[in-house]
Amino acid sequence: MNLAASTATAHTGHTMAERIAIRDLKFYYGDALALKGINLPLYDRKVTAFIGPSGCGKSTLLRVLNRMYDLYPGQRAEGEVLLDGENILAPGVDLNLLRSRVGMVFQKPTPFPMTIYDNIAFGVKLYEKLSKAEMDVRVEESLTKAALWKEVKDKLNASGLSLSGGQQQRLCIARTVAIKPEVILFDEPCSALDPISTAKIEELIDELKSDYTIAIVTHNMQQAARVSEHTAFMYLGELIEFNETDRIFTTPKDQRTQDYITGRFG
Amino acid sequence: MTDMAMTSHAASAASAERAAVLQKLRGGDTVFYWMTRIAAVSVLGLLGAIMISLIIGAWPALTEYGLRFLTTARWAPNAMPDPVLGGLSPLVGTLITSFVALLIAVPVGLGIAIFLTELCPPRLMRPISVAIEMLAGIPSIIYGMWGFFVLGPFLADRGLGGNLSLFNASLILAIMVLPFITAISRDVFATVPPVLKEAAYGVGCTTWEVVRNVVLPYTRVGLIGGVMLALGRALGETMAVTFVVGNSFRLPTSLFSPGTTISAAIASEFAESADLHQSALILLGLLLFVLTFCVLAAARLMLARLAKKAGA
Amino acid sequence: MSARISPLYAGRKRVNAIAMALCYAATAFGLMWLALILASLLINGLPGLSPAIFLENTPPPNAQGGGLANAIVGSLMLTIIGVGIGAPIGILAGTYMAEYGRYSRVTSTIRFINDILLSAPSIIIGLFIYTIIVVPMGRFSGIAGALALAVIVIPVVVRTTEDMLLLVPNPLREAAAALGMPRSLVIKQVAYRAARAGIITGVLLAVARVSGETAPLLFTVLSNQFWSLDITQPLANLPVTINNFINNPDPNWKKLAWTGALLITFAVLSLNIVARTLTQSRKSK
Repeated sequence: MNLAASTATAHTGHTMAERIAIRDLKFYYGDALALKGINLPLYDRKVTAFIGPSGCGKSTLLRVLNRMYDLYPGQRAEGEVLLDGENILAPGVDLNLLRSRVGMVFQKPTPFPMTIYDNIAFGVKLYEKLSKAEMDVRVEESLTKAALWKEVKDKLNASGLSLSGGQQQRLCIARTVAIKPEVILFDEPCSALDPISTAKIEELIDELKSDYTIAIVTHNMQQAARVSEHTAFMYLGELIEFNETDRIFTTPKDQRTQDYITGRFG
Repeated sequence: MTDMAMTSHAASAASAERAAVLQKLRGGDTVFYWMTRIAAVSVLGLLGAIMISLIIGAWPALTEYGLRFLTTARWAPNAMPDPVLGGLSPLVGTLITSFVALLIAVPVGLGIAIFLTELCPPRLMRPISVAIEMLAGIPSIIYGMWGFFVLGPFLADRGLGGNLSLFNASLILAIMVLPFITAISRDVFATVPPVLKEAAYGVGCTTWEVVRNVVLPYTRVGLIGGVMLALGRALGETMAVTFVVGNSFRLPTSLFSPGTTISAAIASEFAESADLHQSALILLGLLLFVLTFCVLAAARLMLARLAKKAGA
Repeated sequence: MSARISPLYAGRKRVNAIAMALCYAATAFGLMWLALILASLLINGLPGLSPAIFLENTPPPNAQGGGLANAIVGSLMLTIIGVGIGAPIGILAGTYMAEYGRYSRVTSTIRFINDILLSAPSIIIGLFIYTIIVVPMGRFSGIAGALALAVIVIPVVVRTTEDMLLLVPNPLREAAAALGMPRSLVIKQVAYRAARAGIITGVLLAVARVSGETAPLLFTVLSNQFWSLDITQPLANLPVTINNFINNPDPNWKKLAWTGALLITFAVLSLNIVARTLTQSRKSK
């Protein structure tokens, strides 16, 4: 593991700023060890992709970054995850505040059972007192950012559930963007979508990286190759290899990485 | 758009502001948590409070009669010099009416459930199951009135006991628990994996053979749970029985003679009772509560076992 | 059809036909009771139905006319207060079980106890309230009756609230939490909203359940011949009035009792149907 981390810095650590640093992260579901000491940087305003066969721990790792696992008893993390130098695993960290800084988009679209407008305004209202006009602007901004504004501007009062799957997912992205996070986590955001919607989301991620630090979990290697600057390959709870995406896909160092990207397992 | 691009740069100022907002919300968060928690624990407290209040109320009779209460059939609250109060006849009446009710309701309820799951045209399924469930919605006093004014005379004309009899009460109870048995049977039938049924049909079984050899054995535990649940209902049913059972504190000689049940005894005598008489009625209530508790607990455990099996 | 139907197979087919016929018969038998009961309610209750039922109070014995106004209003009061007390407690308790304490042992204990309370004999609830409210207060009262009804409402609402909240998909909660929403807001704004139809159904079913309850009112609220809105005193109410009037030889009272029975039954059944359509429309979406 140390080897993996040092490889990473060797190739990529020169100019980019580390936004998140994961240090010797271990994760337990009850007694079962799911992450076996992960070391990894996430660079500011870059896309980092996590790939690996199912059960390798990539989603688990993502859910540590906004401490989503805290919703469930018996799950715990050890080690350090530094966000701007502050350890988010430390006791006393305000989870709600953390999650407002680290947004998340889920595998299946999860619009709230309310109107399209409220789906976005809802999270914003938690933190900011905006006038109706300011809120209208914010909603439009966010929907525009999520490339959804044109499709929904005439039906902002329709239920979020009335949209198609791809639109729902973009609504969820708009909702996340609206509260101005610094980091956005994508947990297999396209696995429930059709190819056209997938292309739109990928395009969107490419645009969003100019403003946000992005981590994406995907089971689709082509997707990782298309959207990310860096790729981490995980296997059985370990980080096998972390490097610039091009290198991972062209000259992998580890045999297991090579086997995976050439489709020999997983 | 531009201000959003600045997000990460203005982060620390924004976080300070957000922290302040969250601080305000935190109080409400704690209050809400404790409100739900207290409400949840009060459900446990409710059961405890019911039990304790019944024990306290029943104490005088309990110390006066002890276990003899269960074996004495004589109920003479106004006897001189001392009242004699024994709970045997209401206890026997409760057990007889409930068991006879189940004897009638279980086969009928199962039949309806089989009809609904295997035979019913899909179009009729919903109306028929709603209609059967409506039987559970009719208030129990209505059953009582109907049993007294309509069913009683009908039975009496055919020599099936008088207007007031244990049989009449059992029949009314059977109708009342029928919807419970039907609903639970239908639910547990739905837990049978379709492949199992298809496999049986695949070897040429008739509908009845599939039901008998696959569905019923597979759902046995759940069905027994459902029957126990219905039994719990029948044991405690009050108004319907009070109207038709006759309220006679004598050991019944036959199913067609009048009798009484625990709940009917309480309903008809409690308002005018005092002292030891009242305590004895509360003791009957305690007895009923313990009885139904055991039956219902057993029912829930069985249904939980089935749910686990279906989930696994 | 093949000509070679063996006698064995013919026998199996016959058994099947008989069993299936019995299932048809059982269904007809069940539906017959519903029809018979509703028919007698209509036959005996409909002739007495007139505006006076809703406008005049219960008459003294051996009088003519009169209505059920005081009993109807009393029943509405008892139901509203009972559900007003019981439903919030039930919703909060169900919330704890489904949200905060979903994986805890306390929750499974509460669920077990609640399921037992759900089917506990209602007359026992009457005894309970008699001991803890009526005896200390020294008299029967509307509030005692309302509390008895509240005790019956709680388990019904707890059960449906928990069930409905458990149906709310977890990703929806995670999505709300991912926006930085505090737990109580996730529950109130997202989970409640997603489960709203189901929770309302639970409350309606509880209303339906208690509006016909008679046994727990017999010795908690008693009844009252006169118009009264004072919940610290005995209060007229429909079920106990029906119970008292139907057992009396006075034909006028008997007629009123049947009409009251008709009203109460149709009110309860309509509530049941409304509650069902609410969840049904939600499911079909």
